Amino acid sequence: MGRSKYRFLKMIIWTAPFMCIFLSLFIGRYPVDGYTVIKVLSSGMLGKTSGLSPIYDSLILDIRLPRAVLGAVVGGSLAISGGALQGLFRNPLVDAGILGVSSGAAFGAALAILLFRQTFMIYLFAFVFGILAVYLSYQVGKIYHTAANVMLVLGGVVVSSVFSALVSFIKFVADPYDQLPQIVFWLMGSLASSNIAEIKFSVIPMTAGIIGLLAIRWRINVLSMGDKEAQALGVDLTIAKGIVIISTTMATAAAVCVSGTIGWIGLIIPHVGRMLVGNDNKVLLPVSLSLGACFLILIDNMGRIISEGELPLNILTALLGAPFYVYLIKKTKGGGW
Amino acid sequence: MGLLKVENAAFAYGKKVVFENINFTLQEGEMFCLLGPNGSGKTTLLDSILGLSKLHTGTVWLNKVQMNGLKPMEIAKKMAYVPQMQQRTFPYRVIDMVLMGRTAYTSTFSSPTDEDLHMAAKALSLVGMEGFKECIYTNLSGGEGQLVMIARALTQDAALIIMDEPTAHLDFKHEMMILEKIVQLVKERKKSILMATHFPNHALYFENNGLPTKVAMLKDRHIVAAGAPSKVLSEKTMEEVYGIQSKILSYDGLREQVYQYVIPLKTCSQ
Repeated sequence: MGRSKYRFLKMIIWTAPFMCIFLSLFIGRYPVDGYTVIKVLSSGMLGKTSGLSPIYDSLILDIRLPRAVLGAVVGGSLAISGGALQGLFRNPLVDAGILGVSSGAAFGAALAILLFRQTFMIYLFAFVFGILAVYLSYQVGKIYHTAANVMLVLGGVVVSSVFSALVSFIKFVADPYDQLPQIVFWLMGSLASSNIAEIKFSVIPMTAGIIGLLAIRWRINVLSMGDKEAQALGVDLTIAKGIVIISTTMATAAAVCVSGTIGWIGLIIPHVGRMLVGNDNKVLLPVSLSLGACFLILIDNMGRIISEGELPLNILTALLGAPFYVYLIKKTKGGGW
Repeated sequence: MGLLKVENAAFAYGKKVVFENINFTLQEGEMFCLLGPNGSGKTTLLDSILGLSKLHTGTVWLNKVQMNGLKPMEIAKKMAYVPQMQQRTFPYRVIDMVLMGRTAYTSTFSSPTDEDLHMAAKALSLVGMEGFKECIYTNLSGGEGQLVMIARALTQDAALIIMDEPTAHLDFKHEMMILEKIVQLVKERKKSILMATHFPNHALYFENNGLPTKVAMLKDRHIVAAGAPSKVLSEKTMEEVYGIQSKILSYDGLREQVYQYVIPLKTCSQ
């Protein structure tokens, strides 16, 4: 890719999510015009009130903006993690949850819903169990000598199935009128509960993970040659793989703990990226980050427009994403596969 | 002492000894062919020299520096590796594949520079593949793919290049292309090459083409014969190492030299 073309792409990558965030401030059941949005935003940035009705301040700054920002960071985290893990495991069918982080987090959330009433405990438990699941997968994967890639993936599958069974168990014992629906809705994914405090709690690990992956993204090309070749090329496998696994785990666990398990993004968005810009992770990971961010904001807005009750994200990501993906395959002839 | 020296090397998977008591030296600008039947441990020996498998005993020296325990990055600056041809998962561009040769010169959190890109392009034209820069690697033919792997090894800027059966699965013409390229690398780029191969004729080809060539034959955990190919590769060693009957054919080549090749005839009855 030429230098000027790359610079242009870079500009699009970094501005697109901000455009999506901005546009989503207009969307919702309560209509707001452009003047009001800009007025509220600009005075909000200066730390003043807009002087308009305080309903607008609270609607835009406390509800729509946090929700859109959260959507961007969650979508970006899932997509970039999925792309990075596909490279690390040399497997295009891998997604962000391959090492068990999603099922671990789901169990943590379900357990917290069963035991406590505060939402904060749901976040904390989901996050901690998400990380615990990856740790367990890693331990299972290295029982026999080294943590070879296939063993790690198998470890993830084993740990995921255990946590899925535990989630079923909790659903079984949960109060069917109160706790069970809450668990089911949590598992379907939503950005609805986001407020500033929750965003702060989850955005820090997500951002840290994203930064780690962006920093090591070229090395992922080399890691995708397989352990033996990567080491012969000069990669310290323990350090490089460790950084990828820790970064993806932090980003995904934090994303899942605040928005529930959102499928599809971590698997498909990197492939959309591959079709658009090729497989070089130096370009692919930033593109996946940006696409994932825009896609989730878009999906969330659609969910709010389509039904009053806010359609859960998991339903829409697949229903809207699948036709788009098929269209892209047709358009790009599969992009080199 | 030469460029590469392997001293008393031994390796075992659990209790199964793959090889032991391996000693050899590779001089600078030399072509060293490692021969031996399937499962004789050629690949494992190459892996141990590259630091990918840990030797149980023994030492590997490169330029008087002991290799055991060096970091992958330091080893990669001294030895480059051309692996056996294999299925690749992701359709990277050719230039992206070659750029990976600069890994050892790129810190964990950065990507290759313009200078690295320039080196990669230069290596590609050295192997005659400059026109394939933007092509998708997985769409190349086997021979073209191997040339790209050799270009990647050149980008690594290492004194020694280690090749594991670089002509496996190639047709006659592409096999010849790779062999000619290797001769050119040793003659013109002064590279030293350690290569595992299934074909004794490869060693003879290098010798016939005027490279300083040595051969070592691995069998039953030991090097059973070593030296100049025309001396070592005889009807007798073919029978001992591979269990085949053969004829050594010689003819007058250019410059009044005698060229030799092995013609395999049939397997020996057990």
